[in-house]
Amino acid sequence: MDVAMTSTTRTVCPSCGGPIADADRFCEACGAELQPAGPSTPALDTDTEPTIELNPAAGLNPAAAVVPGPCQSCGGTIGAEGYCETCGAKAVKLRDHFTEQPAPWVAAVCDRGIRHSRNEDAVAIAADPEPGTRALLVVCDGVSSSLDSDVASLAAARAARDVLVAGRAQGMGTESSRVAAVVARMKAAADAANDAVLENTSPDSPNPASCTFVATVLEDGLLVAGVVGDSRAYWFPDNAEAMALTVDDSWAAELIATGVPRHEAETGPQAHAITRWLGKDAPDHTPRTTVLNDVTGPGWLLVCSDGLWNYCSEAAPLADLVRQTAAAHGGEPLAISSALVDWANAQGGQDNITVALARL
Amino acid sequence: MAEFTASVYQNEFLPDGGTDVHAIVTVNCTGAGAAGSSAGDEAGEIIIVDTSGSMGADGVRAAAYAAQTALDQILDGVWFAVISGNDRAQLAFPASPEPVMVRMDQFTRQAAKDAVARFYADGGTAMGTWLRLAARVFATVPSLTQKHAILLTDGENQHESPEVLTATIEAVTGQFQCDCRGVGVAWQVEEVRRIATALLGTVDIIPAPDQLAAEFSKLIRQAMSKGVASADMRVWAPQGAQVLFVRQVAPTVDDLTARRTEVNPLTGSYPTGSWGDESRDYHVAVRLAAKGIGQEQLAARVQLAIGDQVVAQGLVKALWSADEALTTRISPEVAHYTGQTELANAIQEGLAAKAAGDTATATTKLGRAVQLAAATGNEEATSRLRKVVDIDNQETGTVRLKRSVEKADEMALDTASTKTTRVKK
Repeated sequence: MDVAMTSTTRTVCPSCGGPIADADRFCEACGAELQPAGPSTPALDTDTEPTIELNPAAGLNPAAAVVPGPCQSCGGTIGAEGYCETCGAKAVKLRDHFTEQPAPWVAAVCDRGIRHSRNEDAVAIAADPEPGTRALLVVCDGVSSSLDSDVASLAAARAARDVLVAGRAQGMGTESSRVAAVVARMKAAADAANDAVLENTSPDSPNPASCTFVATVLEDGLLVAGVVGDSRAYWFPDNAEAMALTVDDSWAAELIATGVPRHEAETGPQAHAITRWLGKDAPDHTPRTTVLNDVTGPGWLLVCSDGLWNYCSEAAPLADLVRQTAAAHGGEPLAISSALVDWANAQGGQDNITVALARL
Repeated sequence: MAEFTASVYQNEFLPDGGTDVHAIVTVNCTGAGAAGSSAGDEAGEIIIVDTSGSMGADGVRAAAYAAQTALDQILDGVWFAVISGNDRAQLAFPASPEPVMVRMDQFTRQAAKDAVARFYADGGTAMGTWLRLAARVFATVPSLTQKHAILLTDGENQHESPEVLTATIEAVTGQFQCDCRGVGVAWQVEEVRRIATALLGTVDIIPAPDQLAAEFSKLIRQAMSKGVASADMRVWAPQGAQVLFVRQVAPTVDDLTARRTEVNPLTGSYPTGSWGDESRDYHVAVRLAAKGIGQEQLAARVQLAIGDQVVAQGLVKALWSADEALTTRISPEVAHYTGQTELANAIQEGLAAKAAGDTATATTKLGRAVQLAAATGNEEATSRLRKVVDIDNQETGTVRLKRSVEKADEMALDTASTKTTRVKK
């Protein structure tokens, strides 16, 4: 990609995933005709997205960024500063807990957890109404040692989701070209997410914002997962072995690769040190991708942050947890996601928790 | 129109199980204007001069001259009166058997000066009678929004029991503000401080009568620059919380905690008197029920109110964290004023022990005071302490009581004990 091209809005060919510029009418790579830019009906329903301001700190009335209604601790009135006028409890910020459900079979819950004062996790998802057809799930986990990671992670997740939504791979008739298109779109989504992090980082920040990235694209039986960092995707088919779709970019993963038992590696002092991330000081943010063909279900696709898997890392027990939770909640994805977040909080809620689920 | 701002300095992070939140709230006032200059505001000023026999002819002459100088500083249109006091109080101007006040103009000013020139020394000292008469005089002008007096004494309150004085102070508290000055060394700092503190005023020593005029003139000028007649500090704390204390800590230490009146069950109001263009610091401490790590809540809402109108507000917060780097940090402002408050107490307790002949306690307390004054950079206190103790080591607070101390120096150390230095921000 040359310099001129990177300066335009970064988009990809919906057919093959090749790079295209705004002005292009046809894809340089595969020759597919491109839709002119401008108003078009969104491919997927994202109306359920909560109206969270990306930067509530920028002089907004704090009360506007909180969950409306009475105090959730004592039922008192929430004052203009966002605190209860009776018990003083801080009103729950929209950013601290939000849910999305673009279609009945796909849902996500993002929660502050217990021990952290901010929710630096973010989720952005989209899906077609027809169950099992098309779902796009993105989770970003802001690095808490850096500034403004809560703002950056949400901007990143939404930017990536929007890139994933914008194209639907047709390929050139072959399965391999369809995979190439989705993988290219995954890379473009990570680029867009990285750009979003940079846009939300002050140029002179001593500690630039950064976050992880994990995304899954499910389209007509093709499942592609991409990862930067230690947020994860899993596939739990009902009638086959559960599998992790991603390998963490972390010290723990590197230790596991050298033969250290998983439990030991993931509870060690460096367990949460990640080796790759998105952000200004990121050495490389190309997502590592995993491709599964002929994914038809039935099964659960799970994308989550370490706030969940810290308490259940291995694919098999985590699959059991999801299946048991599903059984207890009538198989309803939003209720199951909420219940999984509650479960992680019950284990201690040491980190922000994000759960995105699709039922195939 | 006066403008107020409030800023909060605190470490809002509490450790697991932490309950006590401390904050320094700086309230700043600008554009106050002159006393009585706002619409609906009327100011009243009473000068109270000791004319007891102990003042002597020279003392009374100096006091009369000082009162005349003070009269020159009272703005035209301000209601005023002059009281002369010994073992009973007389209204010296306007000369009248019944309490009365008049407005200042060129004629009343001259008439008042002439009346003051006729002062002579006679009788004993009963300050309670002076305060009661002042309250009755102020009450004759119901439209007054701002009532200020200056009181000069030279001796102990010998012709009135301490109980009567205490009852009088309680009776007149809230009716007017009063700055008190003692001339010479025969008066009791503690006694006069009780009056000044209750009446939201200051106390100081004037060692020699020829310094009276300059001090009176300064006090009246200050009073005339207080364009905000009266303001209250309001402190809201959440249900179940306990307000441990509310203290003014700059420019002087003054504990307001016991002056609370209830606005509503969660909000207390504390009188702060009149305001000119100035800045004051308050130390507010609240005890909360501990919450879980990661929880945040409002610990206190500190407001300045004029009547029912809130003119400035600061929020004190609490945020429980497992991060020791955050929770162990002490706010430099809170630390500074905690030290300054302890300094004031150490000086007062040290001098009281010294007066009672308890040399060991006096040495320990004044040594601690020397240490605190050095640590908080209060050079004024250090130089005053030097006149009472010999300092061997400032850092460790090792001192020896001086063999002979000028009584006036000891009293100056006492009266100035509550003066604080501002924290360097």
